[in-house]
Amino acid sequence: MGGIGLGSADGILSYITLVLRYVLPIPALLVVARCAVSLLCGKHGDATWGYLSLPNGARVPLRHWENIIGRARDADCHMSYPSLSRSHAAVIRDSAGAWRVYDLGSKGGVRVNGESVAPGPGHDIKSGGLIDLGSVQLVFVSSDDELPPLAGDAPPPRNWAGKIKPGATAALLTEFQLMLGIQACIAKADALTAAVPFAFASLIAIMWFCYAMTRAMGRQGFEIETLAFFLCSVGLSAAASSAPEALLRQTGFLAFGVFLFFAVGWFLRDLNRAVRLRWPIGALGAVMLAINLALGTTAFGAKNWLQIGGVSFQPSEFVKIAFVFAGAATLDRLFAKRNLLLFIAYAGACVTALAAMRDFGSALVFFSAFLIIAFIRSGDAATVFLSVGAAAFAGVLAASARSHIAARFGSWGHAWENTDAAGGFQQTRAMAAAASGGLFGVGSGNGWLWRVFAADTDLVFAMTCEELGLVIAIASVLAITAISAFAVRAAASARSSFYVIGACAAASILLFQSALNVLGSNDLLPFTGVTLPFISRGGSSLISCWGLLAFIKASDTRPGASFAAVRGGWQNGEPKSFGGGTSDDTY
Amino acid sequence: MIRIKRRALSALLLAALLVGGTCAYAARFALSGGRWASSYVNQAVYSGGKIAVGEITDRNGVVLASPAKNGIAFADDEKLRLACLHVTGDAAGNIGTGALAAFKSRLIGYDIANGVYARGGYGDTVALTVDARLQKAAYDALAGRRGCIIVSNYETGDIACAVSVPTFDPVSPPERAELDARYEGVYINRAISSAYVPGSVFKLVTSAAAIENIGDIYSRVFECGGSVDIGGDTVTCTQPHGSLTFEDALAVSCNVTFARLSLELGADTLARYADKFGFTGTVSIDGIKTAKGGFRKGEEGSPELAWSGVGQYDDTVCPAAMLRLVSAVAAGGSAPQFRLVSRSALSRLFPPAAERLLEADTARQLALMMNYNVSRTYGASNFPGLELYAKSGTAEVGGGRQPHAWFTGYITNDGCPLAFTAVVENGGSGASVAGAAVNAVLQEALRVY
Repeated sequence: MGGIGLGSADGILSYITLVLRYVLPIPALLVVARCAVSLLCGKHGDATWGYLSLPNGARVPLRHWENIIGRARDADCHMSYPSLSRSHAAVIRDSAGAWRVYDLGSKGGVRVNGESVAPGPGHDIKSGGLIDLGSVQLVFVSSDDELPPLAGDAPPPRNWAGKIKPGATAALLTEFQLMLGIQACIAKADALTAAVPFAFASLIAIMWFCYAMTRAMGRQGFEIETLAFFLCSVGLSAAASSAPEALLRQTGFLAFGVFLFFAVGWFLRDLNRAVRLRWPIGALGAVMLAINLALGTTAFGAKNWLQIGGVSFQPSEFVKIAFVFAGAATLDRLFAKRNLLLFIAYAGACVTALAAMRDFGSALVFFSAFLIIAFIRSGDAATVFLSVGAAAFAGVLAASARSHIAARFGSWGHAWENTDAAGGFQQTRAMAAAASGGLFGVGSGNGWLWRVFAADTDLVFAMTCEELGLVIAIASVLAITAISAFAVRAAASARSSFYVIGACAAASILLFQSALNVLGSNDLLPFTGVTLPFISRGGSSLISCWGLLAFIKASDTRPGASFAAVRGGWQNGEPKSFGGGTSDDTY
Repeated sequence: MIRIKRRALSALLLAALLVGGTCAYAARFALSGGRWASSYVNQAVYSGGKIAVGEITDRNGVVLASPAKNGIAFADDEKLRLACLHVTGDAAGNIGTGALAAFKSRLIGYDIANGVYARGGYGDTVALTVDARLQKAAYDALAGRRGCIIVSNYETGDIACAVSVPTFDPVSPPERAELDARYEGVYINRAISSAYVPGSVFKLVTSAAAIENIGDIYSRVFECGGSVDIGGDTVTCTQPHGSLTFEDALAVSCNVTFARLSLELGADTLARYADKFGFTGTVSIDGIKTAKGGFRKGEEGSPELAWSGVGQYDDTVCPAAMLRLVSAVAAGGSAPQFRLVSRSALSRLFPPAAERLLEADTARQLALMMNYNVSRTYGASNFPGLELYAKSGTAEVGGGRQPHAWFTGYITNDGCPLAFTAVVENGGSGASVAGAAVNAVLQEALRVY
């Protein structure tokens, strides 16, 4: 029971903490809400990349780089001629602007300008070219030729975000970061090192540098980054509590993560390059896992650490990026069964390797990403492969670490009966600490959970509840959900299935990992010890999350929003207009 | 691409898992947060597994338990420690209904908005409704005999005193108490966690049923020849009572008359009243559940049914439940919800929640009869200065042991709206043994309450 009075400096500081606790959730909720509304409600503004002119004179716009022509209702260019196959042909543009026509195993065959299209490689086509589908002839027009806009098309949205300006949201987030930093400094008042204020200042600087970079590239979208920086701020608060001595390193990891985000984003701009290099990158990931398996060191029960030249890291975190590359594919490849089989084999190898390392959590995360990728790639056509793959993985998982899994599942749901045993020690402390924080928390740096093993990684959600309160902890979950839901929503106006699969796979990894972390540490799922994206302290995990985020950024096709997507196409029928492109400095 | 777009929705399944799981977590947080925070694993408010914050006081601020460097400090007064053991609880947490165990989340100052956070320092003071002086008086009155005394304010529902014997000094708890006959059931607060054979105090239930179900009850004259033969068994009185009115029958506690009334009312009616008065259920005192009593229906016309209406057979009653019935009689039929934790100044502005157990008229009639009991049988001079309404019970327990002595009722003295129930196990006569113990407590109450 403290006898702290208002008169002393401590007294005044304690009043600041008291008030900041209540104020902090406001900018947090506002930031998440503004970003979520902007990402999930904003207009995407359909770009049109070309037309197919039908015999009757009608024009069918090509809204994507990859378009299926056929009799099926869900074909992009759907025509109900009985002689057409359900999925007859594909008209596909690459990132260099070159178009090709593919025969998707049609009955009637496909001819371009009179030449028969062989199954497989396809046939190139120029604007004005003639596509003969047996009974139907179509004239192809690419967006490189200017055409008058279609009548009735809406004017291009000048500002897809509506009144929500990304810069203002970022400014709100900076308010949050400043208050959080002040609170963390107050908590450490007795032994404040320069590292705490420096880390928060660096966080703010890195964010605004990132914003400036985006603007310098003539792009306005910053919601995805803002949400990620929000999560990083929450994570930094936990790190300042648990390991103030490691804050400088953590700041370095953040900077490197942001660098990787821009690097991967830039890399993904060029689809041709990304498609060409996806297997080499996938192979690199497999090699990393193999080296890890051979030379890795065991830490806390899992052999998932690698030490090279004094730097230790978790290869499995980076392999996630390689895994997404290997899983993504353009539409023409989706119709080649060999491609999917290859990926199943690759995914099987990854999950097996992780299980052999006893990294049960990561194996599950990879497996869930595999399921999503396999479903998007195959739909129901290859359900067989899907189920065979699923069964095989489950078997491998169960066999590889039987006692380990049994122990995890055995204690699941019984944490409070094992408060001092392995099956409940961490979880009960996590729940007790989280409840101690209530809705508003005890203040950054004022908790006790950080003393418990893995508090700032596996238990970081509870630590957030304890110090910042349930409101901010839930806002963090919503932030991750909003980023992921955007990836799904962006699929509607995606250019290539490569981007859709990449973004959805990255989103799946972020989502499933979050679910395992949040629910596992609270005894609602088995406790597998995976990190919470962007929030858990640690280098490999943070950097890899930023890498994965680039895939979602690359799927952002709102006009002028994402640096990771090249501009192009007619915006809502207005040739060569880039939407917000002319209003760069309105923000 | 339309196809791909649709398949992409599958990723939302994982989003549903995350969001749904988080909602489930939030729900558990709202429902169980107090319990989580009160767990000994919570280092914010526990130290070395012992609660390290908060303070327990009586209604006047006398400290009963407070955190200390190495555990919990109890009151300085040894008698107070012995008297308050069961309401305060022990350091080891063996007494589950003690405040240290039952009001943990209040002690740590938990609320869902702020968790355990408090600016100046964690923890809260839990002011109990009991009065330290009444506790000591009741402890003295029991004079080491097993049993309990529980007193409540029938206007507010505040429990003013609850003492249970055997007890021990929480500063030096007995080792292996469960193996020591002297400490049999010592971790139980007998006033709220046990149920005894009620004996004649149960006649209040039979009387209430008779008042509401037998139209000419007041004009009847009953004959008692000292015993009555029912279905091959004999129900006896201590002596032949002769011709009796209903009021007289209760005042002299005539078994013969009440056996006949029970048969007339029937098992279903008696059982209904036992349920309605809460004898067979439990009530919550600030979250502490009282013990359930029991009432087994005897067959119509059987001696079991007759005995069940005079509080024998398989009847059992929790002292707190009996206290609740007499509180209701005192308060015109509605029993205010019992409380062990003082209400805040703000919530005292609102009347306490109350549940109607009796019709107002029934309550008035019972009151008159309970007052008549005192003047006719118990002797007002034995209770000087008390405006007393009471019923005694001498409950046969068999096995050659002395009967349990019960005394229950209330007083209407100015500023002292107190109801009481006392049980002295194997104490003998209800009116003289338990009545004397109650008198000692109420005399102290007139001075201090």
